[in-house]
Formats: sequence, C-alpha cells, structure tokens
Amino acid sequence: MLSRTLLLFICVVLCCVSVHAAQPSNQNASPQKKANESDMPAQHVRFHAWGGSAQVNGYIRWLSEQLKQRHNITLQHVKLADTSDAVARVLAEKAAGNVEEGSVDLIWINGENFATMKKHGLLAAKWVGQLPNFALTNPDDNPAMTMDFGEATMGMEAPWGRASMVFYMRQSHLQKLQVNAPTNIQQLLSFSQQAPGRFTYPAPNDYLGASFLKYALLSLNPKQHTLFYQPVTPQALDDTLPSLWQFLDALHPNMWREGRTVVRQASQLQRLVGTGELSLAFTFTAAEIPSAVERFDLPTDIRTYAMDDGSLANVHFIGLTFNSPNRQAAIKVVNFMLSAEAQAEKQKISVWGDDTVLDMRMLTGKQQRLFKEPALHPSALDKTLPISLLAEPHASWTDALRNAWYERYGARY
Amino acid sequence: MDHKSTVLRGQTLSQVLSLQHLTIHKGGERLLQIHTEVPAQSVLTIMGPSGCGKTTLLNAISGQLSAPFVMQGDICINGRSVVAIPPHKRKVGIMFQDALLFEHMSVKENIAFAIPPERYRSKKAQSIAIDRLLENVSLSGFGDRSIDALSGGQQARISLLRTLAAEPDVVLLDEPFSKLDASLRAQIRQWTFDEIKRRDIPAVLVTHDKEDAQAADGEVIEIMPC
Amino acid sequence: MFTRLTVFTRLLLFLLLLMPVSVGFIGVIFPSFGYFPALDRHDFSFDIFKKLFAVDGLGRMVWLSLFTGIGSTLLATLCTFLLLAACYKSSFLNKVQAMLSPLLVLPHAATAIALLFVLSPSGLFARLIGSITSTTIPSANAAFFPYDDWGISVLCALVLKEVPFILLMALSVMAQPSNVRKLAGYQRVGVSLGYNEKSTFFKLMLPSIYAQIRLPILAVLVFATSNVEIPLILAANNPGTLSTAILHWFNHVDLSMRLLGSAASILQVFVCVFAILFFITIERGVALWGRNRLHAGKRNFFERSIAFLGTSVLAVYAVLIAMVVYVVVMYSFATYWPFPHLLPQGFTLLHWQTALSAIDEPFWNAVALAFATSTSSVVFVLLTLESEVLAPAKQKVARLFSLSLFLPLLVPGVAFLYGLVWFQQLLSTHALGFHTYIAHMVYVVPYVYLSLAVSYRRFEPRYAYVAQSLGKSPFQVFWHIKLPMLTNAVCVSWALGMAISFSQYLPTLLASGGAIPTVTTEAVASVSGSSERLTAVYAILQGVMPFMGFVIAWTLPAMIRFARTRKRNRFSQKVMRYGP
Repeated sequence: MLSRTLLLFICVVLCCVSVHAAQPSNQNASPQKKANESDMPAQHVRFHAWGGSAQVNGYIRWLSEQLKQRHNITLQHVKLADTSDAVARVLAEKAAGNVEEGSVDLIWINGENFATMKKHGLLAAKWVGQLPNFALTNPDDNPAMTMDFGEATMGMEAPWGRASMVFYMRQSHLQKLQVNAPTNIQQLLSFSQQAPGRFTYPAPNDYLGASFLKYALLSLNPKQHTLFYQPVTPQALDDTLPSLWQFLDALHPNMWREGRTVVRQASQLQRLVGTGELSLAFTFTAAEIPSAVERFDLPTDIRTYAMDDGSLANVHFIGLTFNSPNRQAAIKVVNFMLSAEAQAEKQKISVWGDDTVLDMRMLTGKQQRLFKEPALHPSALDKTLPISLLAEPHASWTDALRNAWYERYGARY
Repeated sequence: MDHKSTVLRGQTLSQVLSLQHLTIHKGGERLLQIHTEVPAQSVLTIMGPSGCGKTTLLNAISGQLSAPFVMQGDICINGRSVVAIPPHKRKVGIMFQDALLFEHMSVKENIAFAIPPERYRSKKAQSIAIDRLLENVSLSGFGDRSIDALSGGQQARISLLRTLAAEPDVVLLDEPFSKLDASLRAQIRQWTFDEIKRRDIPAVLVTHDKEDAQAADGEVIEIMPC
Repeated sequence: MFTRLTVFTRLLLFLLLLMPVSVGFIGVIFPSFGYFPALDRHDFSFDIFKKLFAVDGLGRMVWLSLFTGIGSTLLATLCTFLLLAACYKSSFLNKVQAMLSPLLVLPHAATAIALLFVLSPSGLFARLIGSITSTTIPSANAAFFPYDDWGISVLCALVLKEVPFILLMALSVMAQPSNVRKLAGYQRVGVSLGYNEKSTFFKLMLPSIYAQIRLPILAVLVFATSNVEIPLILAANNPGTLSTAILHWFNHVDLSMRLLGSAASILQVFVCVFAILFFITIERGVALWGRNRLHAGKRNFFERSIAFLGTSVLAVYAVLIAMVVYVVVMYSFATYWPFPHLLPQGFTLLHWQTALSAIDEPFWNAVALAFATSTSSVVFVLLTLESEVLAPAKQKVARLFSLSLFLPLLVPGVAFLYGLVWFQQLLSTHALGFHTYIAHMVYVVPYVYLSLAVSYRRFEPRYAYVAQSLGKSPFQVFWHIKLPMLTNAVCVSWALGMAISFSQYLPTLLASGGAIPTVTTEAVASVSGSSERLTAVYAILQGVMPFMGFVIAWTLPAMIRFARTRKRNRFSQKVMRYGP
C-alpha cells in the first residue's frame, strides 16, 4: 500500500518535471536582464540558424563552448529547416504586440529574408557600427559589408561569412558517359543534352535555386549587366527574361526527373549526388564538399570548380531582433563571431570552410597567420585559380525572377 | 472462533433481512415482486429458470442494480432501510458461482483484505486469526499459497472464509455450489450453512438444485417463468 | 469523493479532446474569411476562397490527396482481410501479430524514409537489379519510385503503415469476449453447412467484424488523405498533395499566405468529408454485391487465390522489413558505398557519433514529452473509464463522448493545428513545453483510451462486486483490485502512448515553434539534409525508441509481480520466525 502510494507520488513528480524539462531552456522573465558588465550572471542567447549542415552545426557548437568559457554566455543554436520559419515567428510576435520578450535573439539571414525583416521593422537598428570587431571588415573599402543584395544594411545586420557559387561533378560518371564538365552556361545545356537526367537545380524558393536562376540570367545577358544592379522594372524583365526561358525550356526535359519534380532544398541536391542519382550539382559552400567527402557523404571522385562565365558571390549576415530580451549578450556574441580567432576557425576546411569577411589588411601579423591552410583536398576548390565573381543583383530581382518562374513552370509545393 | 464475534458489535438483536414489496422492472415490464422476511440463521431459497431475475434480485439487495433494471419497494436490514446506502456500505456479502479470488494476492491476503480495519491489534494477530480460520476448513498452511495453484473446492472454501471475514449482516449466495463436484458439494454447503447459523445472520440462496433448497431448510420462493 | 474525482476527470478529458480541435478550427475559419487583425484585415469576405480556387493546380492537389487517401485505405483494408482470411485459424496469427506490431508504432516519417532507402533509384532494390544488369550509374529518369506523378509512392507508404493498424484493430475486436463466442459459433456453423474457411470468413465473420472497426478505418482514411510527412518525403511537387501545399502556405514569409492556408485547411476538411462519403458508398456497394452473392450459396469463395494473396501480403511485408533493416543498418555504419554494390566498402562509427553528439537534447525532449503525455493520459483515461462504471452517463452524453474521442483523429491535423498554435500564443508565449504537451495529448489520449477501454470493459465486474460486498469503497476497489489486475493492459497502453508521442511531427514543430526538437523532427529535417547516412541513423533511432517503450511495458508487470511476491514471502517469514 505504502509502496504503491510512493510510486504514484514519484510518477506525479516525474510528470511535472518532464513537462518542465521539455521547455526550451530559456525562460527569460524580465527586464532585470539589463544588468551591467561587472555582475554578469550566466546569460542565454538564442541563435536561430539553418541546421541542415553538420559542419555549420559543429562550428556553432564550438562558438557556444568558447562563449561559455570566455563570457559565460550560453549560445543556444535553434536549428531551422528554413530561415523564413524564424522570420515568420518574429513577424507573428510583432503582430501579437510582443516587443520585449521575443523568442528569437540572433538570426542568420541575408537577401530577401533581410529585406522582409527590414521592411517590417523586425531588426534592431544601428548596433553593428558599435561592434569593436566590425572595423576589421574594413567596411569603407568593402561595400559588400554594408549592402545585402542591393539593400543597405543600416547597421541592422553584421556580416558573418562569404560565399560564391561553385559547381561540383562526379568524375567517374562523366568519364563513363564520355562528356566533359561544362564550364559555362551554354556548355551546361549541351551537357544535359548529351547526358540527360544527370543535373537539376532546386526550386527558386530555395536560396540556391534562386541563385542558379540569377547566374543563368546574368550569364545569358552579358550586355545588360547594368540593368541588374538597379531595381527591377517590367521593361528590364521583358528585355532579359526571354533568353532565360529559352534556355530553361531547353534544359528542363533533360534534367533529373525531366524537371517535373524539383528538389525543395539545396541540401537534397548534395544528397542526390552522394547517392549517384546526379552527376553534376552546385553549391555556395565550396568547403562543404571536401568535408562531405571526408564524412563519406560524397564519393571520392568529386571535383569542384568554378564556371568560367562567373560565380555569383555574396555575404551572409547575422541580424539582431528588435524584441530580443538579451540584447547586450547577443551583441557580445556577434562581436566574438567577428573576431580573428572565430573567423579563422570558421574558414578551416576541417571545420566549415566558409570564407571570412575580415579584411586581411586590417589584421596583425599574428592574426593573419591564424588563417593559413594546410594542403589542398582533391575534392576541394582550388583557390589559387582565378575566379571571376558576379555580384548579387538588386534584391528586387530575386522576387521578380522567382514569381516569373513559378508563373511559367507551376507552383511547387 | 467464537460466538462473541456477534456480541462484540454491541448488538444483542439478530439481523433480519426484510424485503418489503420489492418489485423489479425492466423496460416497463414487471420482472418480479417479492415481499418476505428472512430471520437470522435462516436461508431464503429462490428458485426458477434462467433469465428470470434471480440474479437481478440479488443485485438489488446488494446495491448493484443498474440500467435497464429499476427497483421499487424497500429493503431493510434489521429495521434500517438500505436502499439509499451505497453498495460498499451495506454490509451485504456475496458469493458467486466462481470463487473470484484475487489472483494478485495470496490466500492470506485475500482474506485479510476482507477483514474490517482495526479488527485486530496487530498484523501478527491478524495473521494468526487467519491461520485459525484456514484450519477450521481443513486448509491449514495454505496461507501463503497463490490462487492459481488451488483446486475448485479449495477456492470455494477460501471464498467462503473471505465473504464471512468481512462480518456482513446478510449473505447472498448466487449458485455458489453449482461448479463443485458432487462429493465436495454437500460438505461445503454444510459448512456454509453452519457458518451462517453460527454468525446469526440471514442469507438468500439462488439455486437450480433441489438438494440445495432442502439443505437450506428455509422458505423457498419460486419465480414464475416470464 | 472518488466518484466525483472520476466524473471531473471525464469532463476534463472531454474538454481536452474537444477544445483544442474546436479552438484550432476557429483559428483557421476566421482568417479564411479574411479576418486577421494581425495583418490589418478586418472584413469578412469570400475573396480568400476565390483566390484559393484560382490557384493553379488545385484540382490536381485535391485529386492526389483523394487518390492516395482513399486508394491506400481501400487497399490496406483489402490486404488486411486477405491476411486475416488466410490465417485466422492458425496459430501463425500470433506470429503475424508480433511481426506487425512494431510497424504500428514506427512513426510515419520513418516509414517513408525506410521506403526511400529500399525503393529509390539508388536504393537496395535498384542495387540488386543493378548488380544483375551491371549498371553503375543509378538513373532517376528510368525509375518510377519515388516522386511519381500518380502518387503511387505515397500510396505504398500509406498502405504499409495502415495494414498493421487495421489488422490489430480487427484482432482486438475479434478477441473481445462478446465476439469470441459469436464468431467461433459462426465459424462452426459455416463449416457444418459446407462452406470452406475463406468463405466462412468473408461471408459470415467479416460483416460483424467490419461494423466494429469501421470508425478506426475512417480515422485511418482521414489521416491518409490529410497526412503531411509522407507526401513531403515521397510525393512529386508539381504539385503535391493539398496538405503539403497548406504547410507551404503557412510557412511562407509572406504572411498573407496564411489566409490562403487557412482557406485551404477548410477545403482539406471538405476533402476528408468527401473521402469518407466516397468510402462509405463503396462500402455500401460492396455490401450490396456481397448480399446478392450470399443468396447464391457458392461454397468456394476464391479459396486458393485468397490464400495465395494473403500469404503474399505477408511475404511482401517480411521481405520489405528485412530489406529495410538491412539497408538502414548498413548505411548507418557505411563509409563509401558505390552503386551497385550490395555491401559498403567499409564501416565506421562516425555517423553514429555525429548523430549521438547532436541527439542529446532531441532525445531527452522526446522522452520527457512522451513520459508526461503517456503517464498523464493513462491516469486520466483510467479515471474516466472508472467514472463510466461508477457514474454512467446518459446514452446521448456517452455517445457524444465517444465522438469527441475520435475528433482529433477525424479532423486533419493540418487543418486545426495552426489555429491551435495561434490561440496558444495568445495565451502565453513562454509556456512552449505546456503547449507542446497539449498538442501531443490531443493525439495520445484517443489511442490510450481505445487501448485501455478494451481491457477495462473485459474486466470481470464481479470482482468489483465482491470487493464492494467486503466493504471496500470505490477508491479501494480501484486501487487494490482493478489496477493490479489490469497491470498488463495499463503498461501496454502506456507504451502505446509513448510511441504515439514519439512519432508526432507537425504538433511538435508547430506548438513549440521549432524550439523543442525531438528525434522525429530531427529525422524529418535530416531527410532534406545532405547526409543519407545520418538519416539512416535517425531512422533507426526513430524505430528503436517506441520499441524500448514496449520492452519496458512487457517487463514491468513481471517486475511488479516479482516485487509483490518477495514482499509477501518476507512478511510470512517474519511471522514464522517470531511465532504465534
């Protein structure tokens, strides 16, 4: 009788503990978080970032460990399948009148997600300029640090890393099929005609998919580049889209699954190359390729290269939400992320391989040495070879392109 | 085991079961009506074909009557109406055809479960009392046995002990001997009736068997086929 | 006092089942008519619906949902009956039950993932064929599965998941005491009249069984028509099913798409209703046809073909399960595994290490949620079932309660979850654990109730009568007699509750806003990730966790019994030592 009562009591306690335990760890309560530097208790910052890459997740874990040791800040990586989930959440919070107790502190964004957040006033303004380490990016000489797809960042987001679009292919497949890797957009088309079903690109709601369309648009219209760096106009679309449609109409029937199904996310593209269903793909994270090979997710005959007619390049950023209750701690986190140690660690191929945003000229000799890389992996991009970069067009082009694509080729849910 | 068990309760009056114009209806139709008194130490036998409400009558007395059966009339135990009292407070014992011993308890625990609280000074005293009870029905040493190892006759005896250990004011017997084979039947029947006499309480027996009725030696009511 | 507690619990449970669904529903009805103050929309109109019906490809989406939903349920029901007809007499049935039970608790996402591993162009099946034909390059364009335009891939995954469920429902109905005697009787009469086994089953036994499993089958139908996880993983997207479109619209950065999503949720409900009506029509048609055949008196009802089909269903399951286990385990340890080799080139623990280092939080979240929901469900359900005995409600109320039990199963999750989450956010933006707990309870309670109710109603009521006649109050009867005797059933229901909680995807994702990752949410996220091997690890974890729950459920009663016997022996030894 007694033992059974005890068992019941333990069950009830465990239940309550469980419900509490399943709460996300931070239950920030109040404005008392505005403590000053000296009496810093442990602080909690929630960093909403895409969680589909093991390397990125691993690097963020390293950041958490460092921040805990150095500043007693707990950085919680909230893994997103899609950044717009977090954007929608902040927007919903603003709509519900939540201005002090936001559930998102930092958010990894760029491009149209930034544009949306800027438009709805979801980001804290003018905090980036105050970061001590921001000066290391040399923003005066590097306008890319303060421009996001043609939109001025206005101190709302801090640059974090840089990426350019590169292609990778399965050498054994191409040898077997007796085709050469395409090095420009026209060769891509002939490649697909010679070896149908070996290439595809993600739907344009995915960042990489939209980038492919931009790359194609830019390469197919080399003489109209000035149009792309201004806000889009219906006239500009009329001038440039026909060549894109002609290209895509010819490409689609020779794509994977004949273009009837497209992958929704870029990571699925890499997976399909890994299983052998695709022989050619592309990515913004060149360093991910050798890491994936080392992790057995991609086979050893993968070779990475950049297209001759240009690689789309951009900077990605970290935003601070307008309603973050942990503002000071979050700012400290970002400052650390911009430090030479953190940026060097990030650039290491064995960790993440994401290019740094710091300007080498602003660093001391000791800091510069942190960035030295050992020997090159056979599947990695050879950075000694010149790559011609294509800057991202104005942000309005992305939406216009995407909508036009969906209108022409059907919504892909 | 002694006579004093009855006296300890501070009553010198014997228990009497009184069924006053007890009528049971099912869906508008009258199933049976009964009006009688069962004095202490005697057994009222109810006989009749299956499905005519014998078990329903017992359910009414024990308080387990449920829809679609409806009851009218009164049931009094020693002058006190029990109709409004919840079943577990009526002190009406039941014995079924199946022994229905609780399998997750041992024999001793089954009987101990029935004993009213504070009846014995200590667990040890209770244990000794139960051992004596088992001796009286020739089952000494069976206290720690588990239920599934017992034969039908042994289970019936323990079921009897359990029912009576709760010190009920009335005992209802729903064909309790019908599953026993002939040789055991007479003996357990006799034990049962002896105990009822000793405890000075009335009983109601439902049965098919004429021999049971004869051994009960009390009023016999036959329910007409419906 | 106890009785009052049980009646209160019954009311609580009723509210728990009714409120989230209704509230959720309201949360999508208003926006679908254009009322969404957060976006400055204050007037009611049909504009959103007009916009919905103007969406390109809507017809195809609806058709795909209906085809996969109705098709899979019909096929699954047929397969179940073939299986039952083929082996309901043999002891083999127990083995079948044991083999298929684990599939029941495997999350839907895991089933889809498992099928991908076996049937995709680079899956095990393709490798087998590739080894024979010496192809070294897997070709998606030459393959059919997955992403096919007709939705057959989705249909297969649904059928695979539904057959064990319908089978187990049928078996539990057949095992109810009121049915056992009746069915055995029918069977004997049928045989004595000259009908063979299969005929007897289809003509005599099936009609009574079917009537009793009809409601669960309809729940299966609704789920199949509105499921999100399986089409997300296996369907083509030009376009996909209506449910994936709804998911897409609600997650859109452009918040005004939420209105479209709400309207589509209403449409989804209508689609499910249509599916139910269609299914019932087919049911009636089959019944009519069957009744005509009954008069014909034909004794041999496709004896051999049924036996063959029934055994083939079993064979397909056995082969698939074997293949899935093989390929998933291999991938989780594989280094490089070129096509079309049947064995990887080498093995490594790297993937397990990667997953396990990241699985800490999701694992404990899943366990905590499952424990909280399952344990509290079992307690609430036990008290509610007890209230049905102690204070039976009027028939109408009882019927309303049974309907409310099926409400979460009959209303598509995709339709009410978004509304529910919006309402939860209004109440509190912080209590995410509690919100997720409620979202899980909505799904766990019906299953726990159904599972426990069977055993509860099978409980011999005379034990309770005896205990009451011994002077025990209702609480004492419940605590000392009913609970110990129902230990097995309680443990199994508890394990089932845990498994249901483990497998929840959309409720966890939405109610917590992604802040509470579980093994299932991680697994689905990993499918759109870049590592096949990591997905394999997650799939194994998803399968193992519910299984662990059942292992506990099977061993716990034995442990309790052992502890009881020990206590008893110890006490009697004490008495013997100190003597009278």
